[in-house]
Amino acid sequence: MNLSTLTHIHLLLNHFPTVGFGIGLGLFLVGLYVNSDPIKRASLGIFLIIALLSIPVYMTGKAAQRAIQEEPGVSSVLMETHQDAALTALVFMEITGLLAWLGLWQFRRVTHATKANLTAVLVLSLITAGLMTRAANLGGDIRHPEIRAAGADPSDTEWIRVASVAEFINTTNWAWPALETIHFIGLSMILGVALLINLRMLGVAKNISFSALHRLLPWGILGFGINVLSGFLFFITIPDQYTQNRSLHIKMILMMIAGLNILYFTMFEEPWRLGPGDNASTRSKIVTTLTVVLWIGVIYFGRMMPFIGNSF
Amino acid sequence: MMQFLAAIEQSGFSVWVRESNSLLAYPGVLFLHTFGMGVVAGISGLIALRILGCAREVPLADVRKMYPYMWAGFYLNTVTGIVLFVIDATTKIIDPVFYIKLAFIAAALLLMHRIDREVFGDPLLGKRPVQINGRMLAFATIVCWTGAITAGRLLAYVGPGVIASSGGK
Repeated sequence: MNLSTLTHIHLLLNHFPTVGFGIGLGLFLVGLYVNSDPIKRASLGIFLIIALLSIPVYMTGKAAQRAIQEEPGVSSVLMETHQDAALTALVFMEITGLLAWLGLWQFRRVTHATKANLTAVLVLSLITAGLMTRAANLGGDIRHPEIRAAGADPSDTEWIRVASVAEFINTTNWAWPALETIHFIGLSMILGVALLINLRMLGVAKNISFSALHRLLPWGILGFGINVLSGFLFFITIPDQYTQNRSLHIKMILMMIAGLNILYFTMFEEPWRLGPGDNASTRSKIVTTLTVVLWIGVIYFGRMMPFIGNSF
Repeated sequence: MMQFLAAIEQSGFSVWVRESNSLLAYPGVLFLHTFGMGVVAGISGLIALRILGCAREVPLADVRKMYPYMWAGFYLNTVTGIVLFVIDATTKIIDPVFYIKLAFIAAALLLMHRIDREVFGDPLLGKRPVQINGRMLAFATIVCWTGAITAGRLLAYVGPGVIASSGGK
């Protein structure tokens, strides 16, 4: 995909973290007010999906910046400010998504999400909504000078500055190898959990019930969280070697689908009904096999980034 | 010794793996090695976590059935590891990080073998909590795999192999 296509994707997807998240938040508040578990679960699911979608939104933003930075009237300071605000919002969005997943997991584990979890999701989602709106407004200002606050001279005074993070990693000789190492450890955790669930569904170790297996899911999600964090640190350190890397694009698409698969294991009734000794349904076999295949694809295209593209 | 290593490093096979533009050559071997790592370290790590008390509802007797798949990952990495060694033999043989990696892997495999015998071979398996000895073995396994992965990654960043490696920053 070239810069222009990536920019279009950025402009298309960038409405999800504000509009989509707003819908999720509204639903969540209704769910809390009328104390309805199905509504709470649905909104937690939306938070998780939006947290996943926010990943490509941030990444394609770099391509959008490169596509228009030479044009007259485009302020590079404003773009930097938008980028830094977006990163802050993204950090909160991903933590919200992680806790939303944990809430969904708890609904299974102990039939309801804990008060502590719902409170944390509530506080974080309100902060995230504010930060995302702010990032979106700053982004809109880039191409719409007519709506910019009059007289406001853009200056980048954001709390998290992408350039500072990148500089730290670039000038600290152990940082990159350390990130690579934890990225590989996270990979092993994800693949391990996906494989064990798949093997159970395919009939190996049939005495394990899904509710028992369900207890292992947080380890896979922890691995996923570790890898989203370390992967993002790679990306913001040297974005230009990644934005147009074809292998990374395929990796991200596969990762999105694999990430959505987690909803099957936390929200659907079908796998949950699987007791000790039961044969898994054909759909469970297909979904778990697909999950493993998708993660293997993620590993493959991650490993191919220096060879199919030009990144290291 | 060095002559022999130089000879296998310059063999037609090594040259093809190293220099071919085919994605099946060096990139393919590297991918399979990464995949095998995820299988062997991932499954070992989860077996160890179960012994340490995570996901207690999963019966230990069933956890043991995951061993063959863990070994499959290990065999894949033995084969791909040998290829990766052969194509860079004279450099790897003098790289201390390489020996540290091998030592961690050897230790992890010995530990997994002892867990198989001492934890899963316990006639009272499932009837009493895993003994402290078994839990120590499980903890040490996780430490060893973490060490092996760390050393493996560092091969690309420290020591004599840095320039030869195409994986490093």
